[in-house]
Amino acid sequence: MKREVKVGLFIVCTAIIICVALLYLANEKGFFARNYTFTLSSQSGDGFTEGMPVEFSGFTIGKVQKLELNDKGLVLIKIKIPQKHLKWIKIDSTFTLYRPLIGAARIIVTTDNLKSAALPEDKIPEVQIVNDINDSIEKVQPLLDKVTQIAENLERVSSKIDVMAGKADVHVFGSEGTMPQVNKILKDVNGKLERLNPTVDNVNKISTEASEGLKDIGILRSNVDDTLNAVEDVAKGVDSIISRKKEPEIKLP
Amino acid sequence: MVILENIGCAVIKLINSFADIIYFAWKILIRIFNRNTYTSAMRTVLIDQIYFTSVQILPIFLMVSIAFGSLLIGVLFLQLKQLGLTQYFGHVLMGLIVTEFSPFITVLLITLRSGSAINTEIAVMKVNKEMSALEAFRIDVINYLLVPRVINGVISIVLLSTLFSVVLLGSGILFSSLIFGMSIDAYSNVLLNSANFSDIIIALLKSIVFGFFIILIPVRFGLQASHELTSIPIVVSRGMVNVFAAILTIEVLSLIIKLF
Amino acid sequence: MRNFIKNHPQQAALVSIDIPLISNQSVLMNIALIKQYHENMPTAKVEPIVFNALQRLNLENIAYKRNPDLNNEERFFVMLLRAVMVRNALVIIDRPFKIIPHLKNIDYIFQALKNIEDLYVNCNIYDYEWMREKYGELSK
Repeated sequence: MKREVKVGLFIVCTAIIICVALLYLANEKGFFARNYTFTLSSQSGDGFTEGMPVEFSGFTIGKVQKLELNDKGLVLIKIKIPQKHLKWIKIDSTFTLYRPLIGAARIIVTTDNLKSAALPEDKIPEVQIVNDINDSIEKVQPLLDKVTQIAENLERVSSKIDVMAGKADVHVFGSEGTMPQVNKILKDVNGKLERLNPTVDNVNKISTEASEGLKDIGILRSNVDDTLNAVEDVAKGVDSIISRKKEPEIKLP
Repeated sequence: MVILENIGCAVIKLINSFADIIYFAWKILIRIFNRNTYTSAMRTVLIDQIYFTSVQILPIFLMVSIAFGSLLIGVLFLQLKQLGLTQYFGHVLMGLIVTEFSPFITVLLITLRSGSAINTEIAVMKVNKEMSALEAFRIDVINYLLVPRVINGVISIVLLSTLFSVVLLGSGILFSSLIFGMSIDAYSNVLLNSANFSDIIIALLKSIVFGFFIILIPVRFGLQASHELTSIPIVVSRGMVNVFAAILTIEVLSLIIKLF
Repeated sequence: MRNFIKNHPQQAALVSIDIPLISNQSVLMNIALIKQYHENMPTAKVEPIVFNALQRLNLENIAYKRNPDLNNEERFFVMLLRAVMVRNALVIIDRPFKIIPHLKNIDYIFQALKNIEDLYVNCNIYDYEWMREKYGELSK
């Protein structure tokens, strides 16, 4: 193959690759799509920027091409919509400028009835403005009030708890409180337990003599039962005293 | 005082050399856009130059780009996966590999192979008095020898770096399915979403500027050879150092342009 | 010689040891270059002209050789053919015996000039005074 042919082949092939890649990219990015321009109006141009996206159901379908101020002081917003997205723009579509707290501002198109007639290019619908920052502040205000109220309540509650804790202290640890009484009761129980010791010894003795004195067992057992009942009563008494004394602690508001 | 004088001398030399290159570039540029430059003789040289710079090395270039590109993409994708940055692979592929890496590697390869060869060739022609021979026959050295070489640099760098990108994107298909388990459709979708038209245009423009200067500078330094053989290595080494400085400068400038 | 070139800047066509052939081009391209550059003649059109000229001097076999591969005679004739490619060439041969040192006399060159005499308008040979005898009859 001649050198000229090789060079020509190389240049043509690579140039075709470049052109096809660029054309494909341009086509996919919508450079060749026919665009339609609609004009929207607004009382204020605040928040509008050229190149701002126009969205429908979360998808970008166009962008703001130009901003103009007309003779009446109205701001005219020209939006560019490619042909394939034209079907979303109807005569009863509403246009809203949405300025989120975080992220870029955008114009949101809402079309309730997709079967209605297309929006004529000479009609100028007005853009409603949803200002996320101000709205948020308005929404947050009552919340803030509530939070303040809650904080005040909490403060009151905590002071009450303080007083109650003092009282509980007196009730529990004071000279007339629960703890000394519990101590006293425990001493009583100890005494009674000590008194139980000979009985237990007796039981032991009896058990060793069990084989011999089987007849006495019934009497002895009833004795033991009585003693145990007495212990149980004492324990119940302790319980009731403790639960009564604890009551103020439980009754927190 | 001596140090200050030396610094002053160095700076003046640097500015003079820079101004000289810019003036020379302007002269060449004017000739490139002049129709009379494109004589039959010039076209023959241009075809020869493109043949030597691009077509002749095409098999090696493709092999290098497949080996090097696959290796790079494999390592990069693995790193992205390990760091949990899988969602950025499209941006890395388009923004780093296609628009930055491909032109840079192509320029390095062409500079090493053809830049040095052209620098030596011009220096040898100067030493051999072949330049005077051309002048004796009223053949313009710039039109006949220099313009075709510079145009060849531009064409070769643009086309070869595009080929490099295509090969890299091709190995990207393989590695994205191996490492991320991604289908070709998903892969091309990710690429399209992260492809920025202006970035690609900047990459093409950068390739053109690269191609222009990596040949122009060796040619300029080659012409500075005297009629002694010993001047050849001197002008070749000076030319190559300046080419690498130019590559670095163009990279930095393109980065600055991208920032704005 | 310098004055001659000055007076005929467009036609002067030098054959000299100081005007070498382009070493990275073949003989064919070296000769074709002149017509390609000055008359913008396409390669396809100029190649037959060059081959024809080479044939006249029986040199068609060296068409694709380069300068270092040529012997002195071949180099001289290629330089001569390159010179005659200039339109209405006024050929100036500068010290021919420097290009072909072993040549006994000018006859060999004259014969070649005669073979291609329709390709040039005029031919002048310049040499040192002490080379007179090599030119024989002509110098008288």
